[in-house]
Amino acid sequence: MKTLSLILGASLLFSTFASAETNLPDRQTELPAHAKAASTEYLVPRDLATIPNTEFGNKVKQGYSLFVNSQTMRGQYVGNEQNCANCHMQAGMKANSAPLWGAFMAYPAYRKKNDKVNTYAERIQGCFKYSMNGVAPAVDSPELVALTAYSYWLAMGGLLDKYDMQSTQIPEMSDAVVQLGGKADSFVLPETIAAALPIEQRNKLAGRGYPKLAKSAQTPSIERGEIVYKQTCSTCHGDSGQGLKQDGVQSFPPLWGKGSFNWGAGMHRVNTAAFFIYENMPLGKSIQLSNQQAWDVAAFMNSHERPQDPRFTGDLKANQEQYHNHQGYYGKTVNGKVVGENAFPAEAVD
Amino acid sequence: MPMKNIFRSIIGLSALLLVQAPAFSATPPAAMVCESCHGTAGLGTPNLAPMLAGMDKDYLVEQINHFKNGNRKNPSMTSMVMTLATPESVQQVAAFFASLPAPTISNIEKRGDNVIITDPARKLVYQGDWTRNIPACATCHGPSGLGVAHFPRLASQHADYISNQLTAWQNKKRTGDKNNVMATIAQQLTASEIQHLAQYFAAIK
Ligand code: HEC
Ligand code: HEC
Ligand code: HEC
Ligand code: HEC
Repeated sequence: MKTLSLILGASLLFSTFASAETNLPDRQTELPAHAKAASTEYLVPRDLATIPNTEFGNKVKQGYSLFVNSQTMRGQYVGNEQNCANCHMQAGMKANSAPLWGAFMAYPAYRKKNDKVNTYAERIQGCFKYSMNGVAPAVDSPELVALTAYSYWLAMGGLLDKYDMQSTQIPEMSDAVVQLGGKADSFVLPETIAAALPIEQRNKLAGRGYPKLAKSAQTPSIERGEIVYKQTCSTCHGDSGQGLKQDGVQSFPPLWGKGSFNWGAGMHRVNTAAFFIYENMPLGKSIQLSNQQAWDVAAFMNSHERPQDPRFTGDLKANQEQYHNHQGYYGKTVNGKVVGENAFPAEAVD
Repeated sequence: MPMKNIFRSIIGLSALLLVQAPAFSATPPAAMVCESCHGTAGLGTPNLAPMLAGMDKDYLVEQINHFKNGNRKNPSMTSMVMTLATPESVQQVAAFFASLPAPTISNIEKRGDNVIITDPARKLVYQGDWTRNIPACATCHGPSGLGVAHFPRLASQHADYISNQLTAWQNKKRTGDKNNVMATIAQQLTASEIQHLAQYFAAIK
């Protein structure tokens, strides 16, 4: 435990320089996939209308707005047509849609791979770099403070209510506390909650991440996936994955192409996309895809070109070997073309 | 830079021409009969017929076909679409109504603009209700319900029409929407929510 806090302290010190880092760490590492939990176990954040009118409350509100309409950061931190809420449904509140409350309680997270502790704010920086194909705001920027404060507010409200403390106000925390995350030694929880939720349990809240989907009977097929796409998805995501845009507003997100997430984002993995799609798509869930359809359409979606992996330095094979040891098409040949060779530019910010 | 400006003014000019075009194009003969209910400007009349002006052309074509094939049932419209005998005439009237200007809206509201929303109908519009799997209406119908491609505009549509449609989906009198997307959502709404949502969208001016 001592060493962890030491590493933690050190990483906090260094995190200020994170944006100057040239060698990008693999921050979109796959979350441990888990089976879907019974719905009664999920945290339910408090009603947004209860966010107080205080300095802290205003950060929480700003975090919500940035998360739902991230295009207000376009050109500065966001380089594509995505909003955070496109992949984290219900403004990051929905269980099984990588909810922010599940994430907040899981950081700081020690990662064996690079022997580094990622703070919660650093995890969010990863989503800017990859999912938003942009440039991460600094840990102490108003944007990251707002997004971390919003996540904390969702988590703490959900926890207080779950443990029958409905009338307890959500304690207001300093920027430093919310940047770190709810799994820090120093993070203060009411006694009953702390007892029920020891540190090593906090990264396992029911409903965190996207639930694991059993492997399909047949190997995922791009060809079958194309049929699913045309039947079920193209009315909303466009004939060529470009989404739907009206009067400059991208209401339906692109799934590939230059306006989409890049080759470093978690959603480019076929398994992660299959988990997400099975659980959350088509929007409104008027129909449920079969397990096989979800895997097939995930394969189809992720066999198309998208913005380059920002860790790419000119050698596709080397990048693939270092960062793409998972289920995806980057570096592989599809229809006679090596995927990733014709990628769109990464970090398309002005 | 100057090149860009020239480019911009060309775009501006052609946009101007586009906007003006409908003013010069006369009502196609097939659409004459429609105007008695939907109005010469396509703005419809409360308790008589919905606004069609500025709606997406493909959406209008699809709906006319729904009346033809019985997916939508309405005595006036079922007989009216009989006057459109050929696919060409359907295309023609749809293109005509799509080209008419819809009322412009000031202060467009996007999802995320407001956090604290106390009015329950407005909350459904911008935040949805995920305990019932209802995404925010604005996700599919666009900022302020202005419509997104073939997802129809709801802003400034007549309230009676909006509530009739949502009720029609509940009673299975309107079908044909792809994968029952809208039917599924409508089925979740209460009668009072339907009234308030209809008034909310009708009042967007
Ligand atoms: C009724 C419209 C609709 C249908 C049909 C639909 N989606 Fe979506 N999808 C959306 C919307 C809207 C979002 C963004 C959600 C938000 O912002 O609240 C989304 C988000 C996504 C995302 C998140 C990734 C990103 O780049 O933002 C993926 C992946 C996705 N959809 C895949 C699919 C697939 C695959 C299908 C077909 C099986 C499908 N969708 C069908 C509307 C739809
Ligand atoms: C294109 C889809 C997409 C977009 C857009 C996106 N994310 Fe993510 N996010 C993911 C995926 C995929 C994961 C990893 C989930 C996994 O591996 O199971 C993730 C993980 C996270 C996590 C960690 C979750 C956990 O439980 O550890 C946080 C926090 C997060 N995202 C925040 C954000 C923020 C903030 C934004 C906007 C700046 C954003 N995301 C935009 C797809 C997206
Ligand atoms: C007698 C009055 C009347 C006439 C004439 C009429 N309509 Fe209608 N129209 C209606 C009514 C009423 C509705 C709403 C029907 C419902 O409740 O489903 C409607 C609905 C529609 C809709 C669906 C709009 C939407 O938003 O989904 C379209 C499209 C339409 N009419 C086109 C036409 C065309 C084209 C003509 C001429 C060929 C025409 N109408 C003539 C009364 C009329
Ligand atoms: C997942 C996407 C989606 C969401 C979310 C959604 N809608 Fe729709 N809506 C549609 C589609 C698609 C249609 C067109 C149906 C058709 O083709 O007949 C439609 C049509 C409608 C119509 C008929 C319009 C006309 O001109 O006839 C009304 C009214 C409507 N929606 C209201 C709502 C309301 C109110 C909400 C929020 C509670 C909502 N919708 C949310 C997809 C959506």
